Amino acid sequence: MDSSLHEVWQAASGSPFIPTIGKENQFLVAFVLLVLGFGLSGAFALNRSLVSLPTLAVPASLSLAVGVVYMFCAVGVYV
Amino acid sequence: MKTSAVFSAVLSLLSLASAASSDKGSSKSTLPSTFKPPQVFKNANLVHVISVEKNYVKENINVVVENIDKKAQNEYYLPFTADQISRLGGVEVKDRKDTSAGPFVAENVEFDPESDTQYLRIRLPKPLAPGAQQTLGISYYILKAYSPLPAAIKQEEAQFLTYTFSAYVPSVYTTSKQKTEVKFPSGNIPDYTKIPGSGDIKEFPQKQGTKLTYGPFDEKPAGAYEPIRVRFEFNRPVTHVGRLERDIEVSHWGGNVAFEERYTLYHRGANLSSLFNRVKWQQSQYYQQGNTHALKELKFPLRVGSIDPYYTDVIGNVSTSRFRSNKREASLEIKPRYPVFGGWKYPFTIGWNSDAKNFLRKTATGGFVLNVPFLEGPKQNEGVEYEQVEVRVILPEGAENVKYVTSIPTQSISSTEVEIHKTFLDTIGRTALVIKTRNLVDDFRDRELVISYDYPLSASLRKPFIVFSSTIAFFVAVWLIGNIELKFASVPVVSKK
Repeated sequence: MDSSLHEVWQAASGSPFIPTIGKENQFLVAFVLLVLGFGLSGAFALNRSLVSLPTLAVPASLSLAVGVVYMFCAVGVYV
Repeated sequence: MKTSAVFSAVLSLLSLASAASSDKGSSKSTLPSTFKPPQVFKNANLVHVISVEKNYVKENINVVVENIDKKAQNEYYLPFTADQISRLGGVEVKDRKDTSAGPFVAENVEFDPESDTQYLRIRLPKPLAPGAQQTLGISYYILKAYSPLPAAIKQEEAQFLTYTFSAYVPSVYTTSKQKTEVKFPSGNIPDYTKIPGSGDIKEFPQKQGTKLTYGPFDEKPAGAYEPIRVRFEFNRPVTHVGRLERDIEVSHWGGNVAFEERYTLYHRGANLSSLFNRVKWQQSQYYQQGNTHALKELKFPLRVGSIDPYYTDVIGNVSTSRFRSNKREASLEIKPRYPVFGGWKYPFTIGWNSDAKNFLRKTATGGFVLNVPFLEGPKQNEGVEYEQVEVRVILPEGAENVKYVTSIPTQSISSTEVEIHKTFLDTIGRTALVIKTRNLVDDFRDRELVISYDYPLSASLRKPFIVFSSTIAFFVAVWLIGNIELKFASVPVVSKK
């Protein structure tokens, strides 16, 4: 037990934790990112080439990655 | 007067068989089996207040202790039976005259696990000089304290409980002057033990409204014991939570703190003497204005800002609940699926969410500090007792350097561990702080639990990184497999001339 934590809590009173994306916007952000991700995935599927990997597959993976995390949160499974 | 002399022998009379089922916890130290508390103190004046107003017993011992030894002393012992100590919790000690004195450390000491006499040791913050006095206020709770009499009653009858204790405070020291007050929930106390009085008073106890007073008594030797049994009306549920599992899950991505509480609730009052009658039950709701010993509603005043509550049991969602949430309150009122009578059990689960900003703050050093209530159970007029409480704070995956402090009495904390909890989208699992406590009551509602931890950026990006790497691996695999030539090669035909 660390009794100094009460002071740490008091000292931090001016900086409550605010997430990057608020709860009310999580679904919108997740939905847009997932649509974008799946769209880019489709484009990559139609044009599979070495150039498409960095131009289509990487942005698709990035938007799917963040979109999946926010979609989990948006449906109530706060990961 | 039936004053007995041999302390351990008499205390053993109080012992009940139910002790075996309860664990004694780990906040204790071991002493040699020949241990006897040294006779270094005298209780100069003592007031013992026993409150049976709620469905647990709260005892307050306000005592002026005097050091009668030649050396300064700082260890004061309080004896209990093995059965009592297994049901004892929430011990808090303070100096009645000097609130800044402290901290007092109270812990169970074990010198012989087989012995029926166990001790609670109170360490004074400063050793008491020879001849000096200090006023201690010792408060503690005893769970599973009552037995109903009659043990089985009709559905509409009033419930009566009995409680047995000693008229003289159990002490290992000589007590010069003492009295015992017992507070009841109502003035209906049909039976109580009467003992011969002293001085001007012919007979103890003296009854004033809802209070019985035994004493004042003259000097009593260490271990003096006088059994007293009281029987009083308690027409309210004797709610006992055998086990409460409370999960608090912190999400940085979602900006949320999720709470879930799983209760195993029992009614320890009088059993029904005949089968439950639904018609009589409905009638009693009108004719007796709902005055019953059955448990029919639980009220949870949650923190303001609580949202998305749910209430389920083994069957599924229970629809008999109300949730009122506004700027001033967040009140969850639930009705069990059936009225819970004596001897019945009702396990259920409730949960809710709250924005992380209500409980979580960023520190100047880049870490995070979380402040949540340790216990948020129902707030009932008759009180609620908790035999085992397991609070599990699930921090984000990759949180490290976890420190905590809680204002729950240390005597009730049996263990603290940092574990790994795996759930959705986890790879290495989330850091979980698990605190196990025993013998708590609803008086400890809203006691704080403050936790600090570090959560580096790399750890917070772990979840999207895992999804990203699996997706990109999939795309690369698709590209590689797409490039494999599966057709037969066309061999050029050479024509002969």
